[in-house]
Amino acid sequence: MKAMKKLRIVALPLLVLLFAATDLGAQLPGNQMATQSLRAYWHVFIAYAVAIVMVLGWVVSIARRLARVEAQLGE
Amino acid sequence: MSGKGIRSTGTALAVLGLVGMLLVYSLSFFWVATDRLQGVSQRIFYIHVPAAWTCFLAFGIAALTSGMYLWLRDERLDRAAVCAAEGGMIFGAIMLTTGPLWGAIAWNTYWNWEPRLVLTLLLWFIFLGYFMVRTSTEDPEKGKRFAAVVAIVGALLIPLIHLSVTWFRDVPQFLHPQPVVVKPEGPTLDGDMLTVLLTSLGVFTTLFFGLFLLRYALETLRAEVQARAREATA
Repeated sequence: MKAMKKLRIVALPLLVLLFAATDLGAQLPGNQMATQSLRAYWHVFIAYAVAIVMVLGWVVSIARRLARVEAQLGE
Repeated sequence: MSGKGIRSTGTALAVLGLVGMLLVYSLSFFWVATDRLQGVSQRIFYIHVPAAWTCFLAFGIAALTSGMYLWLRDERLDRAAVCAAEGGMIFGAIMLTTGPLWGAIAWNTYWNWEPRLVLTLLLWFIFLGYFMVRTSTEDPEKGKRFAAVVAIVGALLIPLIHLSVTWFRDVPQFLHPQPVVVKPEGPTLDGDMLTVLLTSLGVFTTLFFGLFLLRYALETLRAEVQARAREATA
């Protein structure tokens, strides 16, 4: 239940942002450059998000494994 | 360096690296100017290139320590190799994800079967094989030796990937640009862009070494657990 709540907190702003971006794109009929530019912003955003998520994922993974091994050593 | 020393140095470097990443993100979003030709998508450059550099550095360290392990049979070298290889996989995944995202805008295609891309993907899969080989034998020592050979063979691709830009520039589908930093006549990149790139390179390298040391501390503790388990059964 808590996980769902957390997911909603993250997902809702992202959805709003996505709809806003789609809407902005729709307000520029025939303007290929503007649509292209908006797409570029999305790609930059995803690229930077991927980098931080992967690095933090590795940090969390190491921390969890360290905690597990330390618990085994403590037994 | 003692186990605690490795861990505290690793933590300090990792924290420094994570804070540095925030700095790099701020610089690339708010400080450096937008590229006139490529537009905003060029900003991917500031994470794509450092991720590639760190990936090659990590795989290089894995190959070097693997070679030394085959020679000296020191377990610490094998531990260092596996930790570096794991880091190489992470930074390699960042490079292989951010590259196509940039290419989709700059080249109008996510993927192109050009030598540099193919060799880089191959390198990543060879190191994926490194982890599979380690666990594929009943005798762990044999698995470590086989994996060490895989790491050395994989790392032979690194200079080839680096030189592919000049060697294969006549291949019709070759899209990667020529070097803009490491050139005999010096970098041709704009000053601010070069500053952000060099900062990012430093940050990614610091982050890698921090997490590498923490991962090494983990591997040392694991070896201790295994040694205790062996003593208990003996």
